Amino acid sequence: MQPKTCIACGMPMSRPADFALGDVNKEYCVHCARPDGSMQSYVEKLQSLTAFIVRTQGLDERAAREGAAAMMARLPAWKDHPAGSP
Amino acid sequence: MGVMAEAGLMQAATAVIAQRAGVAHGTVFAHFRTREDLLCAVIEELGARVTRRLHELSVGNRGLLDLLEAHVQGLVENERLYTRLVAERPLIPPRARSTLVMIQSVVSFHVGEALEREAGQGRPRRLPLHLLFNTWLGLLHHYLLHADLFSPGEASVLRQHGPTLVRYFLALVADERSV
Repeated sequence: MQPKTCIACGMPMSRPADFALGDVNKEYCVHCARPDGSMQSYVEKLQSLTAFIVRTQGLDERAAREGAAAMMARLPAWKDHPAGSP
Repeated sequence: MGVMAEAGLMQAATAVIAQRAGVAHGTVFAHFRTREDLLCAVIEELGARVTRRLHELSVGNRGLLDLLEAHVQGLVENERLYTRLVAERPLIPPRARSTLVMIQSVVSFHVGEALEREAGQGRPRRLPLHLLFNTWLGLLHHYLLHADLFSPGEASVLRQHGPTLVRYFLALVADERSV
C-alpha cells in the first residue's frame, strides 16, 4: 500500500514519526507543522521550503523561492492558492 | 515517455508519440490541450517515479551507502529521460523546470538525514551540506551527460559506473561520518 503523502510538502509519511505530532490521522507531516501541531501557513511553508532548498542545494534565493512556489502549487494544500500572492 | 527519452524533450513529435501509443494524432490532444501540457505531465511523472523509488528503497533510516545506491538505482530505471531533463532544463517551460529542483529536494533531504545520523548527534559538520550534495550530483550528472564517453554502446552508464561513484563519494565524505 502506498504511504500517505503530506498535503503541504508531498513527503511520503510511512512511520508515525513522519506525521505532525506523531498523529497518523493528520494529513500533513512533522516538517509542515507548527510547534502546537497546526499546519503552517502558505507564507511559513514557502519561507521554510526556500530556506531548505538554499541550505541543501545552494541555489540562489530567488531561484529557490520560485522552485518552492512551483512545487507547492502542485500540492493539495496550496493548489487553490493564487500564484504570486502571499 | 519513451519517445521523449529517445528524441529529446523539445524534439519529440506528437505524431510519433501518438503512433507509439497506438492512437490517432488528434487523440493526444483530447488528453493534453497542448504539447506543453503533455511535456509537463511526462516530466511530472518522471519526478514522481524517481522520488517514489528513492523513498521505497531508502525506507527504514538506512545509511548513506544504501541511500546513494537507492538514488543510483532510481536513476538507472529512468536514465534516458532523466538525462534529457538535466540537459534540456533551461529550454523547457518554467512549470516543468521546477521538477528537477523538486527531485533534488527529496534526494538532498535524505542525504542530509543520513549524514546527520552517521555523523553522530551534535557533531558539527565540517563541510556545508549543499556542497557535499552538489559534489555527488555533479559526479552523477557528468557521467550521465557524457555517457557516450564512459559507456559507449551500453544502455546505462550508471549501471556500469554507479557502484564506483558511490564508493568514491563515500571515501570523499569519510570525515563527515563516524561509521
